[in-house]
Amino acid sequence: MNKKRKMLLKMVTASLLRRRSRMLIALLSIAVGATILSGLVTIYYDVPRQMGAQFRNYGANMILVPSDEETMTQEGAQECMDIIPADDLVGASPYRYINVEMNSRQRIFVAAGTDFEQVQSTSPYFMVDGEYPSSERQVLVGKETAELIGARIGSVLELSYKPEGGKRNSLKFTVSGILDTGGDEESYIFMTLKAMSDLTTEETALDVMELSISSTEEGLENYITQISEMDNGIQARLVKRVTKSEASVLSKLQSLVLLVTVVVLLLTMICVCTTMMAVVSERRKEIGLRKALGASDQSIRTEFLYEGMFLGLLGGILGTVLGFVFAQTVSVNVFESSITFQPLLLPVTVIASMLIAALSCMIPIKNAIAIDPALVLKGE
Amino acid sequence: MIIRMIRGALIRQKGKMMLIAFTIALGTSLATAMLNVMLDVGDKVNQELKTYGANITVKPKDSSLLSDLYDVEDEGDAIQTSYLQEDEVSKLKTIFWAFNIVDFAPFMETATALPDGSEAKVVGTWFNHHLDLSTGESLDAGVTTLRTWWDLTEGTWIDEQQDSLNSAMVGAVLAEAQGWQTGDTVTLDGPASSAEVTIVGIFDGGGDEDEQIYAPLDLVQSLNDTEGKVSYIEVSALTTPDNDLARRAAQNPQALSSADYETWYCTAYVSAICYQIQEAITDCVASAVRQVAESEGTILDKTQLLMILITILSLIGAALGISNLVTASVMERAKEIGLLKAVGARDHSITGLVLTEILITALIGGVAGYFMGFGFAQLIGQTVFGSAIEMRLMVVPIVIVLIALVTAAGSVPAIFMVLRLDPAEVLHGSKA
Repeated sequence: MNKKRKMLLKMVTASLLRRRSRMLIALLSIAVGATILSGLVTIYYDVPRQMGAQFRNYGANMILVPSDEETMTQEGAQECMDIIPADDLVGASPYRYINVEMNSRQRIFVAAGTDFEQVQSTSPYFMVDGEYPSSERQVLVGKETAELIGARIGSVLELSYKPEGGKRNSLKFTVSGILDTGGDEESYIFMTLKAMSDLTTEETALDVMELSISSTEEGLENYITQISEMDNGIQARLVKRVTKSEASVLSKLQSLVLLVTVVVLLLTMICVCTTMMAVVSERRKEIGLRKALGASDQSIRTEFLYEGMFLGLLGGILGTVLGFVFAQTVSVNVFESSITFQPLLLPVTVIASMLIAALSCMIPIKNAIAIDPALVLKGE
Repeated sequence: MIIRMIRGALIRQKGKMMLIAFTIALGTSLATAMLNVMLDVGDKVNQELKTYGANITVKPKDSSLLSDLYDVEDEGDAIQTSYLQEDEVSKLKTIFWAFNIVDFAPFMETATALPDGSEAKVVGTWFNHHLDLSTGESLDAGVTTLRTWWDLTEGTWIDEQQDSLNSAMVGAVLAEAQGWQTGDTVTLDGPASSAEVTIVGIFDGGGDEDEQIYAPLDLVQSLNDTEGKVSYIEVSALTTPDNDLARRAAQNPQALSSADYETWYCTAYVSAICYQIQEAITDCVASAVRQVAESEGTILDKTQLLMILITILSLIGAALGISNLVTASVMERAKEIGLLKAVGARDHSITGLVLTEILITALIGGVAGYFMGFGFAQLIGQTVFGSAIEMRLMVVPIVIVLIALVTAAGSVPAIFMVLRLDPAEVLHGSKA
């Protein structure tokens, strides 16, 4: 038995070494197949996550608002946000709206108090001419308002606020930037929450907390149920326009990549098969000779199978590595982020390559074995 | 003689040649399908992104600011001094990029008092307004298709062709607060006149609209006594993602050189479409809704880049697959080539013979593959997007060149390698 095995090993290695150029071709073809398999499958798994992140460009997909007759504080909102994993929370912008009067114009505007660092993550589509305010005495003015009052970057505005039954309080602000969104925001004046509480001389309660969360629609619904169960006077609502559309477009994109993957894989695998078949069927004469020398069908099959599986193993490993390199290139170029290696993909790719290699060896060998060795050797 | 030899080779080695033709067909179909899908994916995804709603708003030139600001001062009692003309709305379909204008709806707003003393905004608009254009085209435009994300919790959309003018749709939050249901009659009290409307549907839109009443445009115009006028128009257009030129043009189109201006005007940039809308409709300002326009651009770019890279990978796969098989099949014929050499054939005639055989096989496989690829592309288009993928003519030369190059690249080195061998050794079988 041991002797037989040694012989088999010798025959397999000898055949691989002697027929170097052919084996190289077979190996190359399997490696190409395996590269495409591992590369496309990695991308397919990674696309929903990466594309989902791109969809966050549309801005907040969930908002927190106080329930009737309640007030929402930063702490209260934070409590709600704690149930959302930090990795999924792209940004959370608090907003408070008040009406302020511009002293020089006798005109009333909406002022929004917010956190500009967060705004840049929840509303990446905000186009600011100039800069976001960096200090408490700077404001960002909407384009429409800026045109109306003739404000430019660097202009100084004096804004005042009169609480109900209280004393009017005025503060001076410098315009750090002009905001262009094409939406209602263009008529607002944005300032920091701290500046707003200075102006109103009262503790800042929030009107809205905009959340941008990378999650599926079901995931968001789930958060909403959890928040409503907390019953702390805060209500969470979905921004349907964003969530609904994202779900529909993302599922289309995912099925596109899936279908493309399936078609490409199918065609590539058949290509691999035909190449292997061509390489093996060339050896009909060898098979005939062996049969004539008294080799059993079984031993011939075993030898070719081992040879094919060895090539499959080598090609599979090579392909996994190359496929990962490809997927990484795609991810870096398209989404500007790297992907993690899926360890499970290595055995899957290797096993698939070995199966395909073995399978495509078997068909021509079966034909060769079935024929009378005399005919094969004669070359008919 | 050469024709006979080729024909002989093709017929005698039918099985092998079929295998080569089959592989080339697979490779060609892969290349054809992927190239076509890649070239069309932008348009298809662009269509899908229309579910995000309007990406352009059109307002009257001077009063847009005042109306918004006064709104703030005294909610509901909006003072608007200038309007757009309703009969000009259809002009949207006459601009240069008319074909890219997918949908639009004009709006007119007013406020009504509710039975409990509070006020609600009444939005007049088109639902599925039927338009017959001067070009002979006809289309249905309005919020039914512009507000794809609305969930109808009760009832149906207003059908302008069937329902009476006195119908309305109510936001879910408002309906719940007032205890309204479909079929209920509500009195809308406008500044100029009042009307009784029947609630046809209740919707959940997840935004401010949930506290508003939507009614046909004509009805709200008569409530406001502003017949034939609209406050603003929302437009949904297929656009090309902005680039540097588009950004420069958005600042001031007149500052561009005439060649740049031409390029910009004839490309479907959102700023170019806005500019053309301003040319078509008197005294209006068309501006891009950045939330939608910018994000569309990013997602479109990313998807296209992704598809390009996947296409490149499959092209490389197809190319290597084909050239591999061709190399293998040439090497397999070492003995035949050795024999030809032994009987005195010259190297170049052998090369010509083998190459012609393979190219003929490639041609047959390539034509079959092109049609297979056509099928695969349609399969992808129909399954994913529910519409056909446009087959572009430019793919044909690309595929022909690719297949010819790959086949030649696979066979020529192999032929030379075999030719270098000594015919005696090859025929003896000691070297192969």
